Amino acid sequence: MMDARVMRIIKRFVLTVALMLGCMASFGLPSTQAQDVEISGPLAGAPAVMHLRVYREGRFQVKPAVAMTLQDEFDRAILFGGELNYNIFDFLGVGVWGAYAGIHITTGLTDEVEDKGLSNDRNILSLPDRRLFDDQIGEIQWIAAPQAVFTPLRGKLGIFEELFVDTDFFVFAGVAIVGVEERADVNKIPTCDELTEVCRQSQRERTSRVAIAPTFGVGLSLYFAEFMAMTIEWRGLPFAWNTSGTDESGDPRGDFPDDQIDSDDHLFKFNHLVSLGFAFYLPLDATISHTEN
Amino acid sequence: MSLGSRNNLEKRNLKRQQIVLGVGLIAFFSFVDEAFAQDMSFEIDEAESAEAQAGAKEGQEGKAKASAKTEVGGDVLSDLAGAEEKEETVVAEREHHKLVTEEIYAVQRIYALRYLRFELAPSIALTMNDQYISHNAPAVALNFWVTNVLAVGANFLWYQGFENQSDLTFHVGRSTRLGVPITEYQLGAHLNFTYVPIYGKFQMFNEYIFQWDSYLVGGVGLMRTRPYPVVDPNRNFDFGFRVAFNVGIGIRVFITRYLTAFLELRDYMYLERLENLAIALDDERTNPDTWLAEDATLTHNVAAHVGMTIFLPFDFDYRYPK
Repeated sequence: MMDARVMRIIKRFVLTVALMLGCMASFGLPSTQAQDVEISGPLAGAPAVMHLRVYREGRFQVKPAVAMTLQDEFDRAILFGGELNYNIFDFLGVGVWGAYAGIHITTGLTDEVEDKGLSNDRNILSLPDRRLFDDQIGEIQWIAAPQAVFTPLRGKLGIFEELFVDTDFFVFAGVAIVGVEERADVNKIPTCDELTEVCRQSQRERTSRVAIAPTFGVGLSLYFAEFMAMTIEWRGLPFAWNTSGTDESGDPRGDFPDDQIDSDDHLFKFNHLVSLGFAFYLPLDATISHTEN
Repeated sequence: MSLGSRNNLEKRNLKRQQIVLGVGLIAFFSFVDEAFAQDMSFEIDEAESAEAQAGAKEGQEGKAKASAKTEVGGDVLSDLAGAEEKEETVVAEREHHKLVTEEIYAVQRIYALRYLRFELAPSIALTMNDQYISHNAPAVALNFWVTNVLAVGANFLWYQGFENQSDLTFHVGRSTRLGVPITEYQLGAHLNFTYVPIYGKFQMFNEYIFQWDSYLVGGVGLMRTRPYPVVDPNRNFDFGFRVAFNVGIGIRVFITRYLTAFLELRDYMYLERLENLAIALDDERTNPDTWLAEDATLTHNVAAHVGMTIFLPFDFDYRYPK
């Protein structure tokens, strides 16, 4: 095993190299920055691109999409929905994104708990019956998110120097209203003092609530036509909920079970999902910029 | 060439013939009278005004043409021979114009050439697929670009001290009495090829232009790992080397011709013998041969690399055709 001294030396070396590279990049290097070339003559003051297709400004965007949650602990949700936007400018639009979780798939960890989980006096409230663990896990049911979409970058990409596609990169942010279904509140005493049918029944009882969370993300649009684009986007929506339906915290002595399943067991989780959509633009024709030149 | 532009060319040739004929007649008569040509000043203004006057005189040229016909038409045979020569000249001119009026494309040079340059790429690697433990690591890669789209290189990651266990492992253990076997990484060193099939450029607010490319990366290397003692805390594992394969995709944005920012998603795959979930009894409990699971498990560590690259040398030369 490598001793701590060697580890410290390696760590110090890595940090020093990183620092040196940062300094080298910042100082004393030739400044060949093509973006800063000052142009004189007839091109002075001209825009970077002329006669480009204005895909978004003044157009509505209707985008059916399918999304899937990522890094799920116990339940993976596949959501079907879409987005409706109006683009005030080419770089800014407002709209609403919404989706319903039509399919839920349990993770490998849920299957493992169902197969091998153990219950005793200490954890009987968290796991009354391992075979019913699937019934107690939390699920995202639906999401609605009014949001603003900012498109700072647009361009095109070439694939194998053959296929060229107009592309844009966008970021978005808004407020997500999330419909969550979790295990219903229950006290260990008297419901699960011992393993009875009443205790088992508490595993199946569900409650729904609405969670409010910030939402943000990034995406890429690939335009196949003036009226249609394929979009791939990543979305984060962090909020606290009880994903496992277990008793995790709430005790005044600290983060320790308090023998109750309630809102104290909502643990913060950075939920995120990836979605694939096809955006349709209305009106169907895009305008062309700088046509007066 | 379109039919319309061909007609225009013929008209222009006809006009030129008329002008040459007119000028020839004027020159002929000037020799007869007096030489006024010494008055020319060869100034730009004169050339421009001459062009302007040429347009104004177009109407008069028709009359000159008519009069020229009457005055030159004495020798019919030579006139006919001269006409044939003119026809040949016109055809030659047409051929000449066909050659020089080809479409010419102005193509922007590639912003930054990678060919025969080294690329030094420090980055931070963040685990994307493991809820139980994050194998975060500082990393550095060195590539040499054999062509403008293909590079060979190596990267090195140091994990130990930067990993984070999530609360999930603890919560699952406490609530369900299940131990989740997890693995600690120390380092990784990999050889890889990089290929750039996709490139493009972005403009920001119609003001700035960023060049970028997307690349595929893959290779083979070694990882040094060991299991965490989750099932039996009395077990003490040593690090061992595992052969690992890696494959990934990334995007690189050029900030200058030698400095880029990049984001890469790479899956490091290797076979790991996890901790044995069963604890042997009596003296066998301290026997290291009973600590590991019998079968190896294919383990994926999907890491997002975020970092900068520096191309060396900083400058490069474009190669032009003659």
